[in-house]
Amino acid sequence: MAWLRVTSSMIKLIHVSKSYRIDEETEFFALKDATLEIKEREFISITGPSGSGKSTLMHLVGLLDKPTKGEILIQDKAISRLDDDELSSLRNSFIGFVFQQFNLIPKLSVMENILLPTIYSRKEIDYSPEMKAVNLLKKFGLYEKKDSFPNKLSGGQQQRVAILRALIMNPKLILADEPTGNLDSKTGHEIMELLKNLNEKEKITVAVVTHETDIAKYGKRIINVKDGTVKK
Amino acid sequence: MEYFLFIVRSAFEDFKRSKMQTFLTSLGIIIGVFAVIMLTALGLGLKKYISDQFDALGSNTLFVIPGQISTSGGGFNPTSTLGTSFDIRDVNSLKRIRDVIAIAPIAMKSGTGKGTVKTENVTIFFTSADFFSIAGFSVDKGRLFDQNDVEKRSKVLVVGPSIAAKLYGTAYSALGKKIAIDNVNFTIIGIIASKGGGGLGGSDYDSYFFGPYTTGYVFNPNKQFFRIGVRVNPAVGLSAVKAEIDKVMLRRYKVDDFSVLEPSQILSIVNSIFSILNAVLVAIASISLLVGGIGIMNIMYVTVSDKTREVGIRRAIGARKSDILSQFLIEAVALSVIGGSLGLVLAELGVLAVSSFFPAYIDLPSVALALGVSSAIGIIFGVLPARKAANLEPVEAIRYE
Repeated sequence: MAWLRVTSSMIKLIHVSKSYRIDEETEFFALKDATLEIKEREFISITGPSGSGKSTLMHLVGLLDKPTKGEILIQDKAISRLDDDELSSLRNSFIGFVFQQFNLIPKLSVMENILLPTIYSRKEIDYSPEMKAVNLLKKFGLYEKKDSFPNKLSGGQQQRVAILRALIMNPKLILADEPTGNLDSKTGHEIMELLKNLNEKEKITVAVVTHETDIAKYGKRIINVKDGTVKK
Repeated sequence: MEYFLFIVRSAFEDFKRSKMQTFLTSLGIIIGVFAVIMLTALGLGLKKYISDQFDALGSNTLFVIPGQISTSGGGFNPTSTLGTSFDIRDVNSLKRIRDVIAIAPIAMKSGTGKGTVKTENVTIFFTSADFFSIAGFSVDKGRLFDQNDVEKRSKVLVVGPSIAAKLYGTAYSALGKKIAIDNVNFTIIGIIASKGGGGLGGSDYDSYFFGPYTTGYVFNPNKQFFRIGVRVNPAVGLSAVKAEIDKVMLRRYKVDDFSVLEPSQILSIVNSIFSILNAVLVAIASISLLVGGIGIMNIMYVTVSDKTREVGIRRAIGARKSDILSQFLIEAVALSVIGGSLGLVLAELGVLAVSSFFPAYIDLPSVALALGVSSAIGIIFGVLPARKAANLEPVEAIRYE
C-alpha cells in the first residue's frame, strides 16, 4: 500500500527565533522568525555565508539548542514539552549527526566510536549493533580499520566512521554540518555521494549545512539563510 | 551495568595513558590512607600487646595505686595519680586481711647498669618474693630471691633475659655476675623465663631487673612504694576483698588518694587512653585525606574543561546529563580508590617492616574503612566537577575549541 502513503512531516519550525542578549538594550538574533518544514525522505541543503545563522538552524533542528521563541515539531510533536532526557533520547535514536570536525572520540577505537550511541540507548535494540557495525564497516571499506584510533585515519575515513556512528541507531534523520569542510574536493564529493545514497536507498531524511554551492547542489531542495533569516 | 563497566574501563585507560598525573593526583589519598591505616595498626598492636600483658597477671590479683582512677564517668584523670605513695605500714595492714594470700609492694629505680658487653639504662623493680607468684614469673636459670633475701637485705637481683643478653652477650652469661647500679653493687642470682612480647623500647617484662624491696631502700630513703600488688584467695570473690582493702586503706588515706584496681579495670583504662590517642592521631592523619580530596577535585575540574568538547559530542549522540555525571563521578571515585588501595598496600608494607620490633597489625574493619573512605572522598569531591560537566549546554560544549 506504499502508493497510498502521504509524505509526512519530519521536522517543522514555526516562527522560531534564537537570540542572545548582548546588553540591556541590544539583542542579537542568530535566527529570526524562521518557519520551515523538512518532510520525510527529503534531501535538503541549507546554505548561506558564514555567520548567517545556518549553524544555529542546524543546532535547533538537531535538538542541541532551544529556541528563544517559536516551536519546533518533530513528527508533529512539539519538543518544547520534552525534558532533557527525552531530548537526549531523540538525539540518540532519531537523529544522526555528522560534523565538519568529524568529532570522533580520540581515545576510542573506530569500532567503539561507532558503537558509542548504543551505550547511551535506553530502549531495547532488536538487532546486534556489533553485527550491524561490522556489516557497515565492510560496506564502507573500513573493516581493516575497526581497531584503529581516529588519529590513524585520513579525513575521509574519519568522516565515514562518523557517518557509521550516525547510522548505528537506524536514525530517521541525518544532520550534516559542513561535512565536507575539512576534506579535499574529491573526498568531499565521495562523502556527499554516500549521503545521497543513504537518502535514496535507505530512505533516510538528510539535511546538509554547507556554504559551498557545488555541495549544496546535492540537495533536492535548497534553503538559503542570510542574516538570520530563512529564504526559500 | 554495561554502561558502568564501559565507563570504568575507559577511566582506567585514561589513567594508563597518564600514569604520572594519576599518581600525583592520588598521592594525597595514598598518604592519607597510609597514615590512617598505619596509625590504626600501631594503636591496635599496642593495645593488644598491653592486653596480653595484663592477661598474664592472672585473674585473682588486685592493685592498690595512688590517686583516684575511675573507669566510669569522667574516665581517666592522670594528674590524680601523683602525690601519694604507700609505705610498709600499709603493706603490713593489708597483709592482715584474711583472704590476701600474697602481697608485693613495688618501688621502682632507674639507673645505669654496666655489663661486660654494654652499658645500658636499666629499670629495677624492688618488691617482695611474692611478686613472682602474683605476676606469674618463673626462673629459667639460677634462683629467684626469697623471704630470706628480703630479711637480710641481700644485694641480689633477678634479671629478665633480654636485658641480660644486652648487657652480657647471652642471657645465661649474666648469672653470678656482679653489677653496679648507681655505685651500688649487686649480684645476679637468677634469670627469669621469658614472658615474650615485643620490644616497645624495652618496656616489656623481659627487660627489667627485680630485687628485694628492703634492699631497694638504698635508693629510696623514704621507704615508699608506688604500687602494691595483692593476690586474693580464689575461693573468695575479688569484690569482697576489694571492700576489705578499701576499709583498711581508708583508715590512713582519703578516698581520693588511692584506688584498688583489678587488672581488667586497668585494661579498660589503657583501652580508653589508646582509643582517645588513636582517635586524635587518626583525626590528624585525616587532614591529609581532606587535602587529597581537594587535589582530586582540582584535577577533575581540569579534566572537565579538557573534555568539554567530548562532553558535547557525547551529548549530541544521546548521552543524558546523568550519563555524563556518572562518567566523571566514576572517574573521580576510581582515582581515589586507586589512591586508597596504594595507601593500603604501603601500610601493609609498613606494618611488615616494623613487625620485628612492634606488634602492629591491620584488621579487616580498617581495610573496609580505607576503601570506604576513599570512595566517599571520590564522590564528595567529584560531584561538583561532574555536575559542572553534566550541566554543560550541548551546543556550547560541541563548539568548544
